[in-house]
Amino acid sequence: MRRPLIGLTAYAQQVQYGHHDLMAGMLPMTYVKAVHATGGRAVLITPDDPDVDVLESLDGIMFSGGADVDPAYFAAERHPRTDIDPARDISELMLMKAALDIDLPILGVCRGMQMMAVAVGGSLHQHLPDVIGSERHQAEPGTDPLAADASAYGRHDIVVKPGSRAYELLGPRLTVNSFHHQAVDDPGTFEVVGWCPDDDVIEIMEHPDRTFALGVQWHPERTADLRLFAALAEAAASRAGLSRTAMAA
Amino acid sequence: MRPIIGITTYVEPASWGVWHDVEATLVPQAYVEAVTLAGGRPVLLPPDGTDAGILSVLDGLVLAGGADLGPELYGAKPHPLTDPRPARDAGEVLLTRAALEADMPVLGVCRGMQLLVVAAGGRLHQHLPDVLGHEKHRPAPGVYGSQPARFARGSRVAALLGNDMEINCYHHQGVGDPGTLTVTGRTDDGVPEAVEDPDRGFVLGVQWHPEVTRDERLFGALVQTATERRRRTPPHA
Repeated sequence: MRRPLIGLTAYAQQVQYGHHDLMAGMLPMTYVKAVHATGGRAVLITPDDPDVDVLESLDGIMFSGGADVDPAYFAAERHPRTDIDPARDISELMLMKAALDIDLPILGVCRGMQMMAVAVGGSLHQHLPDVIGSERHQAEPGTDPLAADASAYGRHDIVVKPGSRAYELLGPRLTVNSFHHQAVDDPGTFEVVGWCPDDDVIEIMEHPDRTFALGVQWHPERTADLRLFAALAEAAASRAGLSRTAMAA
Repeated sequence: MRPIIGITTYVEPASWGVWHDVEATLVPQAYVEAVTLAGGRPVLLPPDGTDAGILSVLDGLVLAGGADLGPELYGAKPHPLTDPRPARDAGEVLLTRAALEADMPVLGVCRGMQLLVVAAGGRLHQHLPDVLGHEKHRPAPGVYGSQPARFARGSRVAALLGNDMEINCYHHQGVGDPGTLTVTGRTDDGVPEAVEDPDRGFVLGVQWHPEVTRDERLFGALVQTATERRRRTPPHA
């Protein structure tokens, strides 16, 4: 019996490990573990030689975090703090549009949610501190803002819209980690269903006309709360005709 | 659509940008490019010991290089210099055995060749300098050793590469007993550099690193066999 196959968009990145310093196709293991813990099987989709043919093999796809989306895709001048990854942009925009077209279950995380907005004609704030006058959405890399002894920095509440899919999954309110300096401005054809109550920054979007297309601005894969990954796995299993019993087996 | 070629990955603490020692699933981009240039669609396979169901969507498999295999896999005690990754071993042994059973085209590189050997019931030398008295197969950290290798007449590797060639290797372990596989290439010191399973469609292991030169002869043969197999047995069938 196979598990639903979840594609994770990967980085092509210069990395250092052991004695090596080289270009690698890679992704933090937290994403992989979140998929495997919720009954899926993770594969990484590299951004080389972009084409959407690989979607035929997948039951669901998650767009991962990472660098900023090139503002040329939403017709804006580049902010001095905007740091782009052109290869990922080209590949992921194609994959996002095609995945929406075929109604493949989609979860967007951080950059992944921003990519959703841009793919459907929306736009981003390129540097949130310019807009809200605070850096509260930017935790230090490598920290866990949800840890018991962490400062309030990089952690905030979210209010979820009643009646939304996100509300069904997460309830009215939750506290999340936060590692971003950009944010969605115009969500395009997505519906905004979650906000940070301190500054109204968009934190959750979902597509009203898709089976499961949901984006979040925080990093659920770095927490113990994997309800969104479970929902993605379930939507993917259902699309693939795999029953819940089979998944558990 | 292009044939889907799975590439196994390392799991290592990695650093990039502002991130330091983050556990990451990764594979040198050279493998990804070698598969792409040969006409395949690479997907990366993080290790997972649960099951090998992923094979149902793959047309071919590259077993990538990396750390030493755990010697318990071939019934030996660990050498002091053996440096294994048990979680990766568990996922890849499961995947390799299932791929061989399904007659999936497989190219094993370095550790990947050793994995093929162990899955075929063979054994490894855990530290070649102990056996050979020289370090030509891994001259220094991060430095490839260049050596001539000779290939067996009539073998698949000889058909693809000719009877001899200069190879770039980087390994301190080597094949002792190839199990049910056939050794089809060796360096002058007798170390096995290529193994094959003549009874399968395409099962080739090489001890050197053909991805570094994006060697289209080897990756092309894998992709071509994968394409033919896809035509015969479409995925999910």
